[in-house]
Amino acid sequence: MTRDAGRNESAAGPPDMTGPLAGYRVLDFGWVLAGAIPGMVLADMGAEVIKVETRQRMDYMRLGRPIIGTEMDPEQHPMFHNVNRGKLSIALNTNHGEAVELALRLAARCDVVLENFSPGVMDRLGLGYERLKAAKEDIIMVAISSHGQTGPLRDLRAYAPSIGAMSGLDSTLGYEGERPLGLKHAYADITGALHAVYAAVAALYQRRRTGRGQYVDVSMLRATAATMGVGLMEFEATGRALQTRGNYDPTMAPYGNYPCLGEDRWVSIAVATGAEWDGLVAAMGHPEWAAGERFASRFQRHRHRRELDEKLSEWTRERDAWAITELLQSRGVAAMPVMDARERLEDRHNRERGLYQEIEHPALGMEPIFNLMWKMEKTPPAIRRHAPLLGEHNRKVFGGLLGLDDAEISRLEEAQVLY
Amino acid sequence: MPYGLLQGITVVELGGFISAPYCGKLLADMGAAVTKVEPPVTGDSSRGYGPFLNDDPHRERSGLFLYLNAGKRGLTLDLATPTGMGVLLDLVARSDVVVHNLHPEEMDRVGLCYQDLSRENPGLVMASITPFGLTGPYRGYKAYDINLAAAGGICQGLGEAGRPPLTFGTPQVGYFAGMAAASSIVMALLARETAASNGSPVEGQHIDIAEVETMSGVYNGPEALMAVYDWRHTRRTGHHALDFPYPNCILPCKDGYIFVGSPETRQWRTLLERMGNPDWAADPRFRNRTVMNNEYAGEIDGYMEAWLMEHTKAELLEMAMEHRIPLGPVRGFDEVRRDPGLSGWFVEISRGDTGPVGFPGMPYALADASSCESAPAPMLGQHNEDVLVGELGFTHEQLVALYQTGII
Repeated sequence: MTRDAGRNESAAGPPDMTGPLAGYRVLDFGWVLAGAIPGMVLADMGAEVIKVETRQRMDYMRLGRPIIGTEMDPEQHPMFHNVNRGKLSIALNTNHGEAVELALRLAARCDVVLENFSPGVMDRLGLGYERLKAAKEDIIMVAISSHGQTGPLRDLRAYAPSIGAMSGLDSTLGYEGERPLGLKHAYADITGALHAVYAAVAALYQRRRTGRGQYVDVSMLRATAATMGVGLMEFEATGRALQTRGNYDPTMAPYGNYPCLGEDRWVSIAVATGAEWDGLVAAMGHPEWAAGERFASRFQRHRHRRELDEKLSEWTRERDAWAITELLQSRGVAAMPVMDARERLEDRHNRERGLYQEIEHPALGMEPIFNLMWKMEKTPPAIRRHAPLLGEHNRKVFGGLLGLDDAEISRLEEAQVLY
Repeated sequence: MPYGLLQGITVVELGGFISAPYCGKLLADMGAAVTKVEPPVTGDSSRGYGPFLNDDPHRERSGLFLYLNAGKRGLTLDLATPTGMGVLLDLVARSDVVVHNLHPEEMDRVGLCYQDLSRENPGLVMASITPFGLTGPYRGYKAYDINLAAAGGICQGLGEAGRPPLTFGTPQVGYFAGMAAASSIVMALLARETAASNGSPVEGQHIDIAEVETMSGVYNGPEALMAVYDWRHTRRTGHHALDFPYPNCILPCKDGYIFVGSPETRQWRTLLERMGNPDWAADPRFRNRTVMNNEYAGEIDGYMEAWLMEHTKAELLEMAMEHRIPLGPVRGFDEVRRDPGLSGWFVEISRGDTGPVGFPGMPYALADASSCESAPAPMLGQHNEDVLVGELGFTHEQLVALYQTGII
């Protein structure tokens, strides 16, 4: 069994060896959201991630209204700060032939190349898999696209919400029997990105044991559809296509978000078993209506769920969402308030678990940045640095890694190769 | 020689429904050998959830179960008994990975803890998927999909003002936890390999995955900072989302609904051209598209709909392809299943008692890995004999006794 050649020297100072991916280097052409997140995860896990970007065509995630001042500033976007933390940035204008050669020289020093341009762009730039493979035989290339690198829809312009619509996800999202409202979240970006992370690390694992590289073609549509287990299997199994169905579960009642005391306050409550129902009834102080035949079994509760929702709402309406949550949870009933971003930021549980971490960014100061959703006791993920300024690491990367001298780097900057 | 990326890795999966099984599926699809442990008699809860093939409600006919568990071996084991727990320990002692989604209180009750499981197997990697994680004040809280979506920030902006916030139309949170578990498990395996190649003792580790953090973290985490800067609001505004440039919404068309987006100015101009550059678009009130979205969406929806109602989803999709505008038909699951572009993606797997069933394929295509025929999902306890007699050294007599006493 062949093994990987030795791990890489870091371009930016002494390597931090605490992450499980310490010693691996990633050349990250990913941008916006789906393309930025995989590199972000790998950086948190200890890989050295070099973000390749350019002023020629700025990462959209850098664009937006300024927070300080009135001028547009690529260093002020809060979303960018979240999803690019931990990376190094080089400004490299790949429209330039010399820049492409530099990119290939960098690829030769990397383990993984990430990209989410439209299919065909990397090939057109001269940075397709075959070129990269020629630069580094065992390179792992992970390409993320809306509909895959092949197939009839490969050139369709798409982004997360349009992919969500095409995956079936939005067809069930709306009040029962009404028009689909759609999720409008970046669901497809996240599923695309997280499956890409998994494929990338699986490929690294394979390479460790076999010495072989890999090309991974991640389709955001497929990644999203792969999570449509209930919807796709419903059609497969019964020939029925699910419609909008509000807050519905075929096995639970009550199952919904119920109004609480205060302005736009709601609590989610879900009851499956008889024991949970008994807990809810006891928490409500055994109201007469709950003792009736209509709610006596799981079957009956589901059958009369609309009436049950009304009765339960009368009880929740008079109470605070957190008071209900604590009361119901103490009786073994699943309940949580509907939380907004600020409430999640200030939440005691999230604070104790360190969901958000204060990271200082040179443009804007201390900012709460979310941590990864797994905790590993021996090789913990960590946010190692703030999101990079555009081209912040030109000298470190081109000097440290490729050995270009200062005069050469200055020349490349003036020629707008490093731009 | 056929191989998968994780060939040779052995996994024990405990628990049920979506999160741990999806993790097991991701690992199995990459070539890991996954043994699924289910409680005797009832099995994984997804066996009772459906949807059921031909509406035949039976634990061997659940489409969700058959999808999430294809390619695994099935073992039944009552973990509430010391004997059952003993069998699990034997099995885990010879495995690389355990993934489970037992609630922390259930873990305490059956005595499932990393220290015990790894005593004979220091290289063991174990991922615990729980609603709120293994630490923190909500550790003991219960949650189903809607509760995780509510606490994770999904519901707040979903639905109409004055009406209850909505959640996903089908259970979805578990998939994110499954993805998180699969990725972090492989990273722990990599760390273990690295330690081994450095001559350090082989060490596994315990991974703590809070399902809610897959929503409030990677999915919705940046919203916290957006809120700090008052950059984006998540009030419920029906089919619109605040603070995006118009259009960014689902609107009716001739034969259904279509998502209409145009984040780039060029895309919006092209869309207006296709509409014949209507006069309303020149209204000075509509110069800023975010203002347009936040203040005049209802009015503009009317103009858009008049045009959209003249076109079918297929026509609009063709227009999107030709003119590079992000339009996405809202497709039902029937349309997704029949999409010619996905016809080769659905995988048909046949089991004697179910016949061929079509399942979603993998999210990625791998250039350098042979695609192996996937085995069907196991029937309840199907591999009890293979595992207990074939691998753990029980006699047939003991196998029968384990069955008769309700352990398996």
